[in-house]
Amino acid sequence: MGRFISPVKIFLTLIFLLVIGLPFLALLLSSVSLNWQWPEVLPEAFSWRAWDYVLFGSSGTWQAIGTSLVIALVVTAVNIVLAVPAANALARYQFRGKWLMEAIIFAPIIIPPFVAVMGIHLTFLRLGLTETIFGVVLAHLSPTLPYMVRAVVISYNTLAVDWENQARMLGAGAIQRFLHVVLPHLLPGIAAGASLSILISLSQYLITFIIGSGQVITLPILLFPFISGGDPAVAAAYSLMFAGLAIVTLLGMDIALKNYYQTKKTVTGKI
Amino acid sequence: MNDLRILHLEKKYSKTAAAGQEPFVLQPVDLTIREAEFFTLLGPSGCGKTTLLKLVAGLLQADSGQLWLGDSELTAVPPEDRRFSMVFQQPLLFPHMTIEDNVAFGLKMQKVKRKKRLSLAQEMLEFVGLAGFESRFPDGLSGGQQQRVALARALVADPRLLLMDEPFSALDPGLREEMRELLSRIQKQLGVTVLFVTHDREEAFELSDRIGIMGNGRLLQVGTAMELYELPASTQIARFLGMKNIIPGTVHGGRFISNEGVFEFSAGNSVKAGEWCLILRPEALQLLAPGTPAPAGALLVRGEVGRMKFHHGLYQCKLHVGGAQLDCTLSRQQAESLAAGQVYDFFVLPDDLHLVGI
Repeated sequence: MGRFISPVKIFLTLIFLLVIGLPFLALLLSSVSLNWQWPEVLPEAFSWRAWDYVLFGSSGTWQAIGTSLVIALVVTAVNIVLAVPAANALARYQFRGKWLMEAIIFAPIIIPPFVAVMGIHLTFLRLGLTETIFGVVLAHLSPTLPYMVRAVVISYNTLAVDWENQARMLGAGAIQRFLHVVLPHLLPGIAAGASLSILISLSQYLITFIIGSGQVITLPILLFPFISGGDPAVAAAYSLMFAGLAIVTLLGMDIALKNYYQTKKTVTGKI
Repeated sequence: MNDLRILHLEKKYSKTAAAGQEPFVLQPVDLTIREAEFFTLLGPSGCGKTTLLKLVAGLLQADSGQLWLGDSELTAVPPEDRRFSMVFQQPLLFPHMTIEDNVAFGLKMQKVKRKKRLSLAQEMLEFVGLAGFESRFPDGLSGGQQQRVALARALVADPRLLLMDEPFSALDPGLREEMRELLSRIQKQLGVTVLFVTHDREEAFELSDRIGIMGNGRLLQVGTAMELYELPASTQIARFLGMKNIIPGTVHGGRFISNEGVFEFSAGNSVKAGEWCLILRPEALQLLAPGTPAPAGALLVRGEVGRMKFHHGLYQCKLHVGGAQLDCTLSRQQAESLAAGQVYDFFVLPDDLHLVGI
């Protein structure tokens, strides 16, 4: 077979490198540069200063990563618990005021978070929830839940009631039906929703900043002053850390999911 | 005796999904299905047979009425606790489970130990002719194989009643035939009680001990295939069973006269005056050899023989009698002695003259 590389493929690869690869290259260079200024095309001096500060200094990076991950994972777990019953109701039942429920659940996608978070902040102040991780988790739910619900609703839409009826006629009670029939079907949808939920929670700056009031330090909270302030090298290092964190988390989830299906198949791979 | 007794079960749908449709009502049904019997509900689509099946399954809640199995009332028992099982039109095998796990699902729900339930599942798979498929996944099986797995899965937990909702209608005709034979054999071997729903009358006639014919939300008639065929209770049932030669007429003073005046005979005094239909089964029309007298009391039919068709070893021929056209079945010898376009005499014995109300 002759190898033929289509021009479209070459073109797409170039676009990919240009749009996604190049910015990363710039970040990488910036993070190891010393006083990289206009009009230098490439930095003239290199230094590990920024990485040294980020990784080993008293910057609190590792703690921030931990906090970010804890918040993102708890938010996602709570989202799953909330979204599955909500999606069940939205996908399968007709009830009065359904449009209103949908509007409320999906509103955070359309309404800027800043608007909502001002009100939330006042309420949380009264409840004493500001400056706590718990408060931040609660506040992160509003921008993430819509994506989770959306993903699970789609999964529910492709699950005919007949499947549950069939399980029922074989003697499965409500919990067994959910565990053995519904959940396996929803899992890909839940995984998709969870990826979005993790990513959105990880990248929240404004909500974390306002509700956490500077006491709950996540990675974006550390990153932001460097971007708007003076040290682009440190900002670049943090940006890379941030991208790495997101990629590692998503990959981890992907592998866990693949593992789950793999064990299902290998148990019985001996055809 | 563990007979299933359906007492006055009734269901009304006040609003159907499609707007503008008439509300559907399942009229109260009384029916007893004997233990180890193969009972079929036969009717056109939309006649309420699936509704009745789902009421028995418990997947629908009846508005009124009761359901008994032996001495225990099941009306309020949820479907998962009735120890029934059901095969749907689609196989509905759980895609993330192997064939073996699918078949063992019902036993797992009953908390049977894994080793035991897998060996029972294996036995049942062997029974339906699918030994060796245990560790495959459903998507690797053909439609017929999947439906066989579904049957094995429904039978493995020894259900008190097996419900089947047109289980073979999605299969190819040849496969359907094979599945019917398999089901018939298994049902007799295991002695399981079956409530089967279909719109295919051949399927019903072939499989069932008794058949209940449904139409417009009513259970119209219950009987064996033979009873239904020979004594349909109404022209609606006769038409649905595919009967030919339904001749409308009136009974007056104990005599039936068809509307065109071609057929006339004494129906006996027990028959009420009014409108009736005469049903002449095609094989009840017999050729009268020239020169011999018709048997006493027989109805004489003189008609012109039309087109003849060879079909399943017999001849189907059209008979023009007055303005009416009758179907009649003749043996090969008889048919080959006839010539199309000629007029012959036929007779029908009095026992074969069957009047039904409209």
